[in-house]
Amino acid sequence: MSIEVRRYEHGSRVPGWDEAADLSKDPAQVPDPATTPVPEDLRAEIEAHMANYPDHRSAAIPALAAVQRRYGWCTPEGIEQAACVMRLTPAYLVAVATFYDMLETRPVARHTIYVCTNISCSLRGADELLAAFKDAGDEQEFNIRGFECLGACDIAPMASVNGVYVGPVTRDEVPEVIAALRQGREVLPDKHLVKRPVADPNAQT
Amino acid sequence: MTDPILFKDIDEPGLRTLEVYRRRGGYDMVSKALAMTRDELVHDLEISGLRGRGGAGFSMGKKASFLPKTTMDKYLVCNADESEPGTFKDRELMTKLPHMLIEGIIIAAHAAGANRAFIYIRGEYQEVADILDAALVEARDAGYLDNLPLVVHRGAGAYICGEETGLLDSLEGKRGNPRLKPPFPANQGLYQGPTLINNVETLMTVPHIVRMGGESYAKIGAANSTGTKVVSVSGNVQRPGNYEIELGIASRELIYGLAGGPPEGREILFWFPGGSSSPVLTKDELDVPYDFDSMAKAGSMIGSGAIIIVDDSNSVVDVALKLASFYRHESCGKCTPCREGTNWTVKVLERIQSGLGTPMDLDIMASVQDRIIGNCLCVLGDSMAMPIGSMIEKFRPQFEEYMESRREVAA
Amino acid sequence: MPRPFHRDITFSIDGREVTAPENTILVDAAKYGDVEIPVFCYEPKLGQPVGACRMCLVEIEGIPKLQTACSTPVKDGMVVHTLTDRVKEAQNAVVEFLLINHPLDCPVCDKGGECPLQDISFGWGAGVSRFIEPKRHFEKPLSLSPLVAIDRERCILCYRCVRFSQEVAEDYQLVFEERGAHTYVSTFNGHPYVAPFSGNIIELCPVGALTSKPYRFRARPWDIEQAGSVCTLCPSQCNVSFTVRDDRVLRVLARDHKEVDDGWLCDKGRFAYQAIHADERITRPMIRDGGELREVSWDRALDEAAAALGRARGKVAAVVGGQTSNEEGHLLSHLVRDVLGSSDVESRVAGAPSAELRVALDHPDLQATVPDIEFAHAVLVIDAEPVDDMPIIDLRIRKGVRRNHVKLGVATSRPSSLDPNASAVARFAPGAGEAFLAALNAALGGGGVLSELAEAAGTTEQAVRDVAALFDATDLVILYGERLLSGPRADQTARALLNVAGKSFERGRDGAGLMEIPAGTNSRGLREVGCVSDRSPAEIAEAAAGGDLTALYLLHTDPLVDLAGEWEPALDRATTVIAHSMFLTPGIAEHATIVFPAESWAEREGTVTHPDGRLQRLRAGIGRPGDVRACWQTLAELSKRLGADISILTGSMATAQMAEHVPIYAGITHDELGGQGVRWQERDAASAYPGDVDFGPFGLEAPPVRPRPSGSELQFATFRSIWGGPEVAASPALQFLRSRPRVLLSPADAQRLELFDGLAATVAPDGREAVEATVHVRDAVPEGSAFLESDVAGVVGTAGIRKAEAAVVV
Ligand SMILES: Cc1cc2nc3c(=O)[nH]c(=O)nc-3n(C[C@H](O)[C@H](O)[C@H](O)COP(=O)(O)O)c2cc1C
Ligand code: SF4
Ligand code: SF4
Ligand code: FES
Ligand code: FES
Repeated sequence: MSIEVRRYEHGSRVPGWDEAADLSKDPAQVPDPATTPVPEDLRAEIEAHMANYPDHRSAAIPALAAVQRRYGWCTPEGIEQAACVMRLTPAYLVAVATFYDMLETRPVARHTIYVCTNISCSLRGADELLAAFKDAGDEQEFNIRGFECLGACDIAPMASVNGVYVGPVTRDEVPEVIAALRQGREVLPDKHLVKRPVADPNAQT
Repeated sequence: MTDPILFKDIDEPGLRTLEVYRRRGGYDMVSKALAMTRDELVHDLEISGLRGRGGAGFSMGKKASFLPKTTMDKYLVCNADESEPGTFKDRELMTKLPHMLIEGIIIAAHAAGANRAFIYIRGEYQEVADILDAALVEARDAGYLDNLPLVVHRGAGAYICGEETGLLDSLEGKRGNPRLKPPFPANQGLYQGPTLINNVETLMTVPHIVRMGGESYAKIGAANSTGTKVVSVSGNVQRPGNYEIELGIASRELIYGLAGGPPEGREILFWFPGGSSSPVLTKDELDVPYDFDSMAKAGSMIGSGAIIIVDDSNSVVDVALKLASFYRHESCGKCTPCREGTNWTVKVLERIQSGLGTPMDLDIMASVQDRIIGNCLCVLGDSMAMPIGSMIEKFRPQFEEYMESRREVAA
Repeated sequence: MPRPFHRDITFSIDGREVTAPENTILVDAAKYGDVEIPVFCYEPKLGQPVGACRMCLVEIEGIPKLQTACSTPVKDGMVVHTLTDRVKEAQNAVVEFLLINHPLDCPVCDKGGECPLQDISFGWGAGVSRFIEPKRHFEKPLSLSPLVAIDRERCILCYRCVRFSQEVAEDYQLVFEERGAHTYVSTFNGHPYVAPFSGNIIELCPVGALTSKPYRFRARPWDIEQAGSVCTLCPSQCNVSFTVRDDRVLRVLARDHKEVDDGWLCDKGRFAYQAIHADERITRPMIRDGGELREVSWDRALDEAAAALGRARGKVAAVVGGQTSNEEGHLLSHLVRDVLGSSDVESRVAGAPSAELRVALDHPDLQATVPDIEFAHAVLVIDAEPVDDMPIIDLRIRKGVRRNHVKLGVATSRPSSLDPNASAVARFAPGAGEAFLAALNAALGGGGVLSELAEAAGTTEQAVRDVAALFDATDLVILYGERLLSGPRADQTARALLNVAGKSFERGRDGAGLMEIPAGTNSRGLREVGCVSDRSPAEIAEAAAGGDLTALYLLHTDPLVDLAGEWEPALDRATTVIAHSMFLTPGIAEHATIVFPAESWAEREGTVTHPDGRLQRLRAGIGRPGDVRACWQTLAELSKRLGADISILTGSMATAQMAEHVPIYAGITHDELGGQGVRWQERDAASAYPGDVDFGPFGLEAPPVRPRPSGSELQFATFRSIWGGPEVAASPALQFLRSRPRVLLSPADAQRLELFDGLAATVAPDGREAVEATVHVRDAVPEGSAFLESDVAGVVGTAGIRKAEAAVVV
């Protein structure tokens, strides 16, 4: 199966500017529980998030994240299910989903690699690193995106690989990252940011 | 140089756990602070001179004092969105000292009279959020949060959600568009209730102020810029990383002394003193003391406390384009000047890069920046316009030279 | 929530001292000094300002940054400048920014000539652009719905349309997607934006991004005229402006009336104008001749009608449709009663409470107004679905709840679209309105055993108590559907309602009261001009079928379509059936002996009365097509031919004649009504309202025990959706919305009956013909009840429901 991965500058999705409404569809109202089956665990997870807030709509991002974890991306069916649990229209949730960079509203590959290409990283070779990742990783398997500053400029150039921050990553290490992901190994274990000591020499007494 | 306050022994093994944190005196300040009246606490914070570490530099105590004393639901929100390019201090602090943040939140909530709290953390910081969640479980089990429900809310990737009202909308489950001000969050914030919003570092400083007393804290640092500040240094320096400095030290000492300066054989072309939103300074401005007022006098700002060094191997045009593209990508699109102005600026810079620029473009671009500044709904627009404006102003010859050379390449 | 009051203050704008109410938004306050501040996103009808477009920046002394005038309330002593260089620079900047991506295709833009962006660019822009990069280009126009086209290139992201969908209609189907310069208006996953009020976004859009498909390119602003009138397609009676070109209505726009419609229209009112020019319209009188209706001259038709009516003297009955004007109603009543010596002129759709009870219910002291809904402390909707029955009221209720924190209670049989906004929801069994009111009366301390009454109503004690809790409010408005008080036990129900009303507010209190959501547009007016008889429509039908009545006069109604009851035999038996109608609907096509062509609502003159008592004036926007004559003229002419001394030459004379005979309307003239109408309760003539009124409290009988359905039978009621009626059916653009038989079932019943969502089912109401309908399984439908969408509303009873013969399981 080929996954269509469309990209628009800087890794954002192709906006749906050219898309007309399909007039044969019914309007998308709040999904009726009688006709919208929701997997029990997904419902439970979303309801748990809703309980965290005085206004249950606050759970929109966590709910969408749960949908994305379950289905790989925020599928229309997944969004409808979340909307059904939250008693919102699916349009409400899709408006939220498309606002945020990490929520995917088009199909994407399983592994996510965000390569930071913002200023500090690009001063240290991030653009070349991103190009190397794109060369090495197949779009069917890897969702490789240039990303804005990930808040780890101290390990520039860096990447967030399935949510784990690693850096500095050299171009030579790219094949290893790809191989590790394919084989289910830990990615560059020596370069995990969480293990790094603070740079400030005065901090250690 | 005083001893580090936040960074003291920050890499001590196990500090992330409640046990080690408590062994070091962690959470001791909770009972002390809760024994104070709200007014006393706010007063202490005010005289400490602590200014917000998130960017705007507003007095923390004063902001807490703005919250009405009514009995309605009030909220404390910790801004852990940290998306300003070049900034990574909150990440390091939260990764290593999650309990200090929780302690700060409990105390600040008391100062604000808040009965519910949230940490809004950027979605990309999944590892950090997991650490916070684990710490939260410990703190909850230990009873520290009995009177203050605290939830870690993960964002999903949008710089604008660092802007306090955009953050509130996002936390309410909407698109993260900033709101009109007034009303200010202190009056009408989260769920329309009075809300105190502070940066991670600001909140983590609070227990130390309680420990030292506001007056002693105010003795650290420079006039009107009290205390220490964690500064993220990145870009073309030899030792990028976070450094906790006493406010007021010379920038040169920070950049060269601590971070090692640019690589061997390179010189600084320009630098951002306070994240990518701050107007750039040149190598001739390295002696400006690193504090709020001195930076403002030099025409820039310390913002989130993030220094980005650009050395002379780079071209100002490339950096300008990166910067403008970032702001175009992150503009929420709500207001016209920012949405269209960032877009326009990127298009002109791209044309310059492709060799089709003319010096007139610089005038137009400079005027576009002027037309953004002050006309937007929030300051994201200005955050592009000010540094781009400063680059054109300070590096016009380099821009022109670049255009000339690109024109030749294109031809 | 008391209505806000503002004192006057003085501020200075561009050097002028101006007086305006304090806290008026600066954009509006400036108008008091004749200063115009340009705006795009500001639209107070949409709620709180958003400050998005930045067009309205002004300088306020003492504040360093320019401020948005659309979000700044004016204060005493404020000094404002809108003409300084700084302000001009900002205005030029915003216009320049907006135009960089806006296609300059005004010559082929439907908005050209009436476009705020054009006007503001001309008035406040610099006139030049320095933008030389390529503009963005996208496919255009695209369908957003069958009614609305979208041109995303032209959109300036002003937020108006999405705010309407999200914060006014609350359908939340229309949203922004993506972010920054990529932001665009869209719906979920390509679903069309179809909702009862969707057309309002066309009028809100300040550019040519959202256009009406039926109107696109039919006219340019300089070849049209606007004609103000009132929409008579439902009791909301929204004020409209017809866009007319070459004597054809090409568009309908809102004509803001704060006390009536708040500036909104529903899509029926906005788009059903197509029916006015439908080919199917009757434009000449017709007479049945050899079984066929044939066109004849007016003279012939009038002669025949007069002769036939003359022969039927004393045995004539008239049935009056809801869209009939007060004048027509009065003249028909004059004809039937005074000239033809008969007594039946009935405008109500089913049995109704006695005259004495009606006098109490409609009493000015108990009357709530439309704005009361918005400012009350609580609103209770009983046995009505505003979005279907009186759509604009639905928006008003939502507005009150959202903006003023009005507490809402909904007590209905069918789940309501207002349920999510309500703080109390009660479901009672179809037809159990009386029992519910009795239960409510008991919960409010009015006597009776709550548990028994709740049981009889098919609801729970708790639900009744929740609704009763609303009665703590000082200002409570009760909106009740006309169907609540129709049927054989109308009197008992009306007494229960009066008892409940007596518990809820002081009589005569402003801001609280009752308001009926009637079945017909002008139900109230028709009652007040005397179109009520002692017999219910069903009884009239029976009398006609039995031969006691020989002539039936059908004014703007087709009983086969509009009324419950056995009408087929009645129409069959009557010797003479005279109808005024725009269309040959089934009953008329089959049974009418004489047909007069009726005017459309854009061609009529006269008055109608809003459910809150506001008389509003209908004005003809276009001429009558073909040989159509005014209905009042025909009625007067018939009276005259039958010997009455009556001479009416103009529409205003018809109004005068009507006013002369209706004491509470005494002296009303078209001039007095003007463009805004007037509530009769506020005129001196209101003193003619009967004074001796019994408001209760009444002792209540125990409500009857409802028949328990058995086996595959369910409790059953029909309802008419907003998309019912011949006007929608005859409008090509609205075909896709046209009411279709749908049956709503609860998941449990659907499962038991082995029916699935989307399947065809046969619905066999007790004692009526079975119909085939599509099954809609809805979670909110109470188990044991089924609701059928139908043009004939108000059929209540039990019904057997089973899979249709030909149904294919998918
Ligand atoms: C575009 C923009 C982005 C911002 N991002 C952040 C951020 O990531 N973290 C933060 O603490 N403050 C950020 N701020 C500043 C906040 O609006 C706010 O001033 C701050 O959270 C207040 O906390 P403080 O007073 O403790 O600094 C940002 C402001 C703007 C305009
Ligand atoms: S300045 Fe930019 S980010 Fe801020 S509100 Fe306007 S468009 Fe949104
Ligand atoms: S489509 Fe029209 S109303 Fe909607 S945002 Fe765009 S310009 Fe505004
Ligand atoms: S610039 Fe790459 S992490 Fe900040
Ligand atoms: S009208 Fe004021 S910002 Fe749009």
